[in-house]
Amino acid sequence: MKRSRFLLGSVAGLTVAANTDSLFARALAAAPLPGLPGDDRVLVVINLQGGNDGLNTVVPHGMEQYYRYRPTLAVPRGDVLQIDRNVGLNPALRSLKGMFDAGKVAIVQGAGYPQPDHSHFRSTEIWQTAAPDRIERTGWLGRYLDSAGMPENNLFNAVALAQVMPEAFVARKVDVPAIGAFRGYGLSSDKQASTKAAFASLVRDERVPFDSPYLGRVAEIEDHAQRGSQELPSLIGGYKTTAAYPATGIGRSLALAAQMIGSRLGTRVIYVQHGSFDTHAAQRGTQDRLLQELSDGLKAFYDDLAEHGNDTRTLTMTFSEFGRRVAENASRGTDHGEASPMFVVGGGVRGGLFGAHPSLDELDNGDVVYTVDFRSVYATILEKWMGRPSREILAGEFSLVPLLA
Amino acid sequence: MIATTQYRPAGTLSASTALAPYQGQMNARLAAHLLRRAGFGGSPADVARVAAMSPGAAVDSLVHYPKDTGLSGRPDDLGDDYDGLQQKVTELQRMGSDPAELKDARAALGRSRRKTTASMQRWWLERMVRTPAPLQEKMTLFWHGHFTSSMVKGITPREMMNQNWLYRSNALGNVREIAAAITEDPAMLKFLDNARSFKEHPNENFARELMELFTLGIGNYTEQDVREAARALTGNTVRGAALGGGYTFALRRHDFGTKTVLGASGQLDGKDVVEIIFRQPAASRFIAAKLLNFFVYNDPEPELIEGVAALLRKYDFQTSPVMSQLLRSNVFFSDRAYRALVKSPVEFVVGAHQLYGLSEVTDESLAALGRMGQALFDPPSVKGWDGGAAWLNSQTVLARENFADYLVTAQTTAQADSWLVGSVPAGADAASTTLVGTILLGDASPASKAHLSSYLNGEGTSALGVLSVENYQERMRGAAYLTMAMPAYQLS
Repeated sequence: MKRSRFLLGSVAGLTVAANTDSLFARALAAAPLPGLPGDDRVLVVINLQGGNDGLNTVVPHGMEQYYRYRPTLAVPRGDVLQIDRNVGLNPALRSLKGMFDAGKVAIVQGAGYPQPDHSHFRSTEIWQTAAPDRIERTGWLGRYLDSAGMPENNLFNAVALAQVMPEAFVARKVDVPAIGAFRGYGLSSDKQASTKAAFASLVRDERVPFDSPYLGRVAEIEDHAQRGSQELPSLIGGYKTTAAYPATGIGRSLALAAQMIGSRLGTRVIYVQHGSFDTHAAQRGTQDRLLQELSDGLKAFYDDLAEHGNDTRTLTMTFSEFGRRVAENASRGTDHGEASPMFVVGGGVRGGLFGAHPSLDELDNGDVVYTVDFRSVYATILEKWMGRPSREILAGEFSLVPLLA
Repeated sequence: MIATTQYRPAGTLSASTALAPYQGQMNARLAAHLLRRAGFGGSPADVARVAAMSPGAAVDSLVHYPKDTGLSGRPDDLGDDYDGLQQKVTELQRMGSDPAELKDARAALGRSRRKTTASMQRWWLERMVRTPAPLQEKMTLFWHGHFTSSMVKGITPREMMNQNWLYRSNALGNVREIAAAITEDPAMLKFLDNARSFKEHPNENFARELMELFTLGIGNYTEQDVREAARALTGNTVRGAALGGGYTFALRRHDFGTKTVLGASGQLDGKDVVEIIFRQPAASRFIAAKLLNFFVYNDPEPELIEGVAALLRKYDFQTSPVMSQLLRSNVFFSDRAYRALVKSPVEFVVGAHQLYGLSEVTDESLAALGRMGQALFDPPSVKGWDGGAAWLNSQTVLARENFADYLVTAQTTAQADSWLVGSVPAGADAASTTLVGTILLGDASPASKAHLSSYLNGEGTSALGVLSVENYQERMRGAAYLTMAMPAYQLS
């Protein structure tokens, strides 16, 4: 905000100011961030939007009831990529299974929260705000960014690779840009210097003859959009990779994420959207395709990161607003359910299974009961990866899951 | 995104007089405000015409719109090949045939769907631009975002278009009747999976969203109500394409047992569930809040919601008298409502076409609308579009400005006689006054107007010099674009 005010009064010096910002972002790369233990670590959060069916992701092939509840949807035992006698992975997750076998993937089984809500929107809000028991305006990642003392004049402290800003990033101090696709991220009028300079001052017109609750927000976002789009291409333009990303939405998002991480912009959190997993009907085809896109995307992502020595400083976590009903419905799909597994990949993760797989004998009105509170996973990542005390961010104490040293 | 406690405008609501008719003077600013909210902004001539009317007469002219608009009822391309392509895919799937052949058939279906969707989007946008009944199209857009469906899950273009006409025919109709109609609407039944719901394992998707997102809101029903309503809705399905499609009630799929929904028991079916829902006081409040958020301002006060809810109950959920009273009210014409909403991408695009008198929507403008986050017939979820602050992020704001740049530099060039470049301005100050007056109704600071004059005079560039006969067209277009980038233009 302060920086924006400075720009408002110095239209002629705009080009210089913008360059200073780029230099600043580069300088961040050289020195560890002030007050941030764990220096240049990055968290990538992948949202499996729509409610991913946990039972067909981490398949309980050792539980007879699974095959009884899912006469048409169950993954046949012979197809399961077995982890142990009890569970294994959906065959669409072959690439991820390879990473698991190499010890680079932790699977948290049965992640959920008390008194689960079956609404997409409320349950998404709960995972994004980490507040199941109250209405909370800020997101858990937003509260992290606020508490971590992020540099105010870095436009890329965190980035949402999504069309719509996730609630997880709603903060009191730090503004996060959303970049749906790198193509089209820029102003056509910036090609003309006179228009570029005039735009920068006119969009910040706040002394208008009317009042509006959105006025400050509009001015700020236009300013950030212009400056961010001017800087990003040059900041990440020098990055090259040989990794083979699949030509999918998540493949493109993860390729951009690796490019931003490798260009060392001081970015601490990247949010990626993937879905929709809302498979009420004809589930197998849709879910298997989406899981394969996730799995192949993650493989290419970590190949790319490893090629540049960034794999050990990048931790990836997946989450979904809920799992799905244990019994399939008559449309060869599943309805909204409760707990589901989370994957935590890369960084210094301890590979393996964490938390107990939910029982299929004792169901809550047709749903599996959670075995790990998702806030324990958030707390673990905040404390052990991001180096921040989790108590205030999560409004409570949660036991840690031993998936990070 | 920076958290704000709320996006309710500053100041206090006078609950007792908020919904009473506004007795003040009409002027160009208020006329444009009314046209933006009850339509898409209109042309400069529309604003002048409405500014000369009394507020009551202006609202009447919008609410009592002409029945015959003289516009085409259907897009040129409604995917005539679609049904055949769909059937071929189904057939190949059933036969378990060659994967390559199936892949080709699917690709052909996808191409047809994309082409037809674009044709439908263009048709609707051009209808919004040209219509003499803007409130009808605005309400149709409201219902599309409320009782929402998108063209997925095998919904055919014809089914989607029929749903669109259901909303247009009932644009200012009865909410309860629209809710009842969607329990038999093929696009909705497919979109929320009720078309594949059987009494043995009812699919809960439609029953849940009917209560959560369409009528009551979360907290006003239980999980048990969802399960029971899902049972009541079994049997409401869609005939196969081979049988001509369309709604049908499948006796053998329907659960004829006794159900209890929201405390009412009986051998309930889908229409009974809708009747029971609309007896809940929560229904009127839920719809009232939705209307206020769309037409007046965000986060409306509970007293204001209750005031509009009382109107809905008084008129038995008929929206025409409710909208008529809301649009002519003190709160609607108050400073608190003025520019208090974020313009939606559709309002941005359609409004800009009306501003410059452009009646055709190009492929480029269609693509831009998607980048801004509001592709018609393709809402991001069953919640429709969130609106408000959710319209604004780096990506969508850049898409807005790039569209504005494209529209004024590329699209208006053929218009030699438009208000923008039809005559040589007397000077840079006169030109910036025209631009700020026509595009923003004066809603810019003196400093910004002065800055616009400097731009028009070529300050800061080595080229050309002051505004002149030789350069004014290019400069006016550049300045119009910059005016559209100013904060007021992002707000409705």
